Amino acid sequence: MSNSKLYKGSLNTIILKLLNEHDKMYGYEITQKVKALTKGELKITEGALYPALHKLEAEGLLDVEVAKVDNRLRKYYKLTETGTKETVNKLEELAEYIKTMQALVNPKLV
Amino acid sequence: MKLTESQIQDLYAFTRQHFVEHYDLQTELVDHLANDIEKQWQVQPKLTFEDAKNKAFKKFGIFGFMDAIEQKGKAMNKRYMRYMWTELKKWFELPQIITTIALFLLFYIAFSTVYIAPLALFFFGIITVWCTYKGIQLNKQFRRRKEVSNKKWMLEELIFKQAGSTMFVFMSQLFNVYKIPDNYGDNTYFLVLFSLAFTIIALVNYISLEVIPSKAEKLLNETYPEFSL
Repeated sequence: MSNSKLYKGSLNTIILKLLNEHDKMYGYEITQKVKALTKGELKITEGALYPALHKLEAEGLLDVEVAKVDNRLRKYYKLTETGTKETVNKLEELAEYIKTMQALVNPKLV
Repeated sequence: MKLTESQIQDLYAFTRQHFVEHYDLQTELVDHLANDIEKQWQVQPKLTFEDAKNKAFKKFGIFGFMDAIEQKGKAMNKRYMRYMWTELKKWFELPQIITTIALFLLFYIAFSTVYIAPLALFFFGIITVWCTYKGIQLNKQFRRRKEVSNKKWMLEELIFKQAGSTMFVFMSQLFNVYKIPDNYGDNTYFLVLFSLAFTIIALVNYISLEVIPSKAEKLLNETYPEFSL
């Protein structure tokens, strides 16, 4: 992620969440989707995305599918059953984190 | 505007120039670069292929494909170890457990004698010779496979080329085996552990050099949906 190191720890959660909403996605599509959703505020760098995807795949959270698109092969990622469960946990963790940070930076709001 | 077949091949060569040796990762990165280039052409149709390619590559940061290569390597190692573990567990279930127990007893009885040190060396020698023979054979097989397909898959390389790596860990213990005093055979705890270690080493080597390579096609198809494409 180029614009802030603060996002770095949430990369896996962002990937899982996106895959939870879409049946299957490929790497480039993920970077574009995040860019569009955050109106360019958050850019997932290629250098961080693929290592994260491969790690999640190795952990058994993602499964892969390959299809021929145009004149090349495209690798799609989708959530496994464990991946779907883990998404719920990760999102809860993230919500908890946001709440804690809010309490710290802006105590009046809580 | 879409990329031509020769431009796709150029991207494959580009990933190889940037140290991506394995076809599985090359394919993924080629598709990514291709998507990025096509997207750039939507905005700037006059941009040359070379310029667009370099722009797309720059987005990977100063380390280029390095992080992706490293993480992919780790992920594949993890997968390989998982296969290894699954196979090893089978040797502690019926019916294979009978072989495991027999093997353990063989080592235990042999090491209970006063000839513990020469016998340990003898078994050590047998395992080493067998592993070396198998390792060479698998390496040859790997080279033949490369001649046919010209593509290198990370998991395939692990299965055929690194299978013998456990043997080297084992080999490094040669000195310790040689040093065993004869009266060690009297210590039951030591005997059980020593025989168990030999049993596990024999099994691990058998699995990595025989069982997993024999299942290579199945494992590769399972890991790479594009393998048979």
